[in-house]
Amino acid sequence: MRTSIKNGIRLGAIVGVVILFFHLTGFSVVASSMLGSLLANVDKGAAMEEIPALNLAVILALMGMIAGGSASKNKQNDKWSNSLVSGAVAGAFAGLLTGIFIFVIGFANFKEIDLRNYLPEIGPDVIDSLLFGGNAAAPYLYLALLTVSGITGAALSKGVIRADWRKKAQADSVQSFKTLTQKPGVQKLFGNKIAMYGFLALAALLLYFLPTQWGSYWNYIMGTVGIYILLGLGLNIIVGLSGQLVLGYVAFFAIGAYTFGLFTAPEPHAIGMNFWLAILFAILAAAATGVLLGLPILSLRGDYLAIVTLGFGEIIRILIKSDMLTDFTNGPSGLSDLTQPKWLGQTFNDVNFFHLIVIFVAIAIFIAGRLQYSRTGRAWLAISADQTVAKATGINTYKYKLLALALGAAFAGLGGALFASRNQFTGPEDHILMVSINVLCLVIVGGMGSIPGVVVGSFVLKGVPELLRDLESYRLLAFGALLVVMMVMRPEGLWPIGRPAMEAAYNQKHPKDSPPEGEVQS
Amino acid sequence: MTETVIQTHKLSKIFGGLTAVDKVDLTVPEQAIASIIGPNGAGKTTFFNCVSGFYTPEEGDVLFYGKPIQGNATDKICSMGISRTYQNIRLFSQMTAIENIIVGKHPRLKGTWWEAILHNRRYIQEEEDAVKEALHWLDFVGLAGLGDQLALNLPYGAQRKLEIARALASEPKLLLLDEPTAGMNSQETAEMTAFIKSLRDDLGITILLIEHDMKVVMGISDQITVLDYGTKIAEGKPKEIQANQRVIEAYLGPGAAALSKKFQRKKSHDA
Repeated sequence: MRTSIKNGIRLGAIVGVVILFFHLTGFSVVASSMLGSLLANVDKGAAMEEIPALNLAVILALMGMIAGGSASKNKQNDKWSNSLVSGAVAGAFAGLLTGIFIFVIGFANFKEIDLRNYLPEIGPDVIDSLLFGGNAAAPYLYLALLTVSGITGAALSKGVIRADWRKKAQADSVQSFKTLTQKPGVQKLFGNKIAMYGFLALAALLLYFLPTQWGSYWNYIMGTVGIYILLGLGLNIIVGLSGQLVLGYVAFFAIGAYTFGLFTAPEPHAIGMNFWLAILFAILAAAATGVLLGLPILSLRGDYLAIVTLGFGEIIRILIKSDMLTDFTNGPSGLSDLTQPKWLGQTFNDVNFFHLIVIFVAIAIFIAGRLQYSRTGRAWLAISADQTVAKATGINTYKYKLLALALGAAFAGLGGALFASRNQFTGPEDHILMVSINVLCLVIVGGMGSIPGVVVGSFVLKGVPELLRDLESYRLLAFGALLVVMMVMRPEGLWPIGRPAMEAAYNQKHPKDSPPEGEVQS
Repeated sequence: MTETVIQTHKLSKIFGGLTAVDKVDLTVPEQAIASIIGPNGAGKTTFFNCVSGFYTPEEGDVLFYGKPIQGNATDKICSMGISRTYQNIRLFSQMTAIENIIVGKHPRLKGTWWEAILHNRRYIQEEEDAVKEALHWLDFVGLAGLGDQLALNLPYGAQRKLEIARALASEPKLLLLDEPTAGMNSQETAEMTAFIKSLRDDLGITILLIEHDMKVVMGISDQITVLDYGTKIAEGKPKEIQANQRVIEAYLGPGAAALSKKFQRKKSHDA
């Protein structure tokens, strides 16, 4: 019983604080308006007073049910009474917290104190709607509503979600799925090369036809995702495989973009180089920068390396921007009118460009994948695990770290050149620290050292914010919360990968080489 | 006459004001099992680190088959044919057992990064051979069937064995074992002792061993060197070391030698 109450208080406090947070940022009002469009009881763009109190009540009830449901989810709560007590305590505690808050702001409003001086989002009309239309009994309503919904949540959790019949049904469905995957026919399909090629062909077909259908806006968004996949694959080699924490990755992106730009822009040099040649030069320049940067600093480890590379990223951006190099780089105004790719005399439109990015991403995935499971990839992993021992095992750690940096930089150079060419512009503000941080985030969110993880991470970090456009100014708030939740739920990343099962594969391939014990083959 | 594998000549290593290893001479002939013993802090592991290239000695030479190797980087020394294990196990914990062994084989492989991308015939063949050989070593140390486990998931004894397998994969001529039986029970220790002996007998590898367990040391060593406060205080066959007064005093304190003599006299008197 005591643990049930403790658990209830803990979750009640968490949910209560979340509700307070929503109230203080004004998100509650936005959420009730969004719920309004779902329930079709609010017109789009309706004023705050027109949002029915019911919507806020529904949201609060949902939160209360979450609190109650999670509080009752405890091993000791196998009894109905304990479950319900947990739920009630959680709901009541959340209600108490929010009730006190509501009482305070209601009281302040009544005394005509303008709370906007301290809490910018809490204006009189917001207070009105938070108080269910200025209802004086609002604090009690909060307490009652959250307690009741807490109990309901606990009852639902105990009676439906955690009920034996449901657990059994779930186990049955998992079991039947397992037996399905273990049927020889299905197994064959998984291991079958033809099936895999078929799947790849299907994906290629989709990637070929989708861009012609979904319009230039989505082409732009998905193209950005593709470019971030390229960047992620490169940083994944440096951070995920070889374990060198490089924070100035944007420097290589900038080198790629500017090499491409300087070779193709009419201003300030008017070299007018061909697109494909310029891309090649961008890759080479970035890789060379990687080597040059790596030579002096790769003997540093961990935090020290991170700080030095962070500085390097900023140096490149500030150099590009500086007065000193204005004649050479066009300074803050950047390079414009960069070359677009041409093929058989035709300039690429947005669909063609998207296809081009997809092709480059496919090549990059192929290269990164082969490297990952090679002697080189193993050496990188060994270095990231224990550099001293890796060196004592005969690995030239310096050489391999340099190689990782050069290859990673080359990927970034390609990404930068594509990014610059697609925008037909590149300027110093394209190459801020946020790019490095975003790429590092997508590698970590996807799962360090995992190629599918990079792809998933890019979609999550660059694609999901676009899907959240409905949330308007709360977009990044919601996105940040989503990231926190994801990392708490799956700290190893969204799509982590294991290491290859070499022994099993070998034994499958050479069954005769390992006869079972006690049998002598003649 | 057998060849000398490793020879140190007046080897000294100084940390600030502390001389951790002080003018130590050591000669290990081919296919010998040589042990280094001594109380805690005697400089055994420092001596190991000088031989395997972790430290550069301030003075003296380390000769491997007559060639000086001190000052070389550890990866170079490893590819010359000296491998080692560590007092506290240091495996690549997020890689599988097989991968650990293949990494150990690194200096004997030639595949470059562009070969890995192209997957040419030579590269594929080399990878296949590497896996085959790694499986052989896995079997050799008695871990067959555990190859696809991550190193950190293996039990303690298996991790010790895997570390030796990783060291063996680089085809060393000299193997440095730093307390291979630390933390093992008596049965595991006996197994490990037999295993170390088989390394020398079956593979012809010369072994330099640091060990605290006197049963192990006295059982398999051809020669024993005793260090105390960085200096060599005794050297010889197990029997000679057991009777050496300075060794007994180093371990048990001054006066212990006399006690031990008295004890021995009493024993013979009783008999």
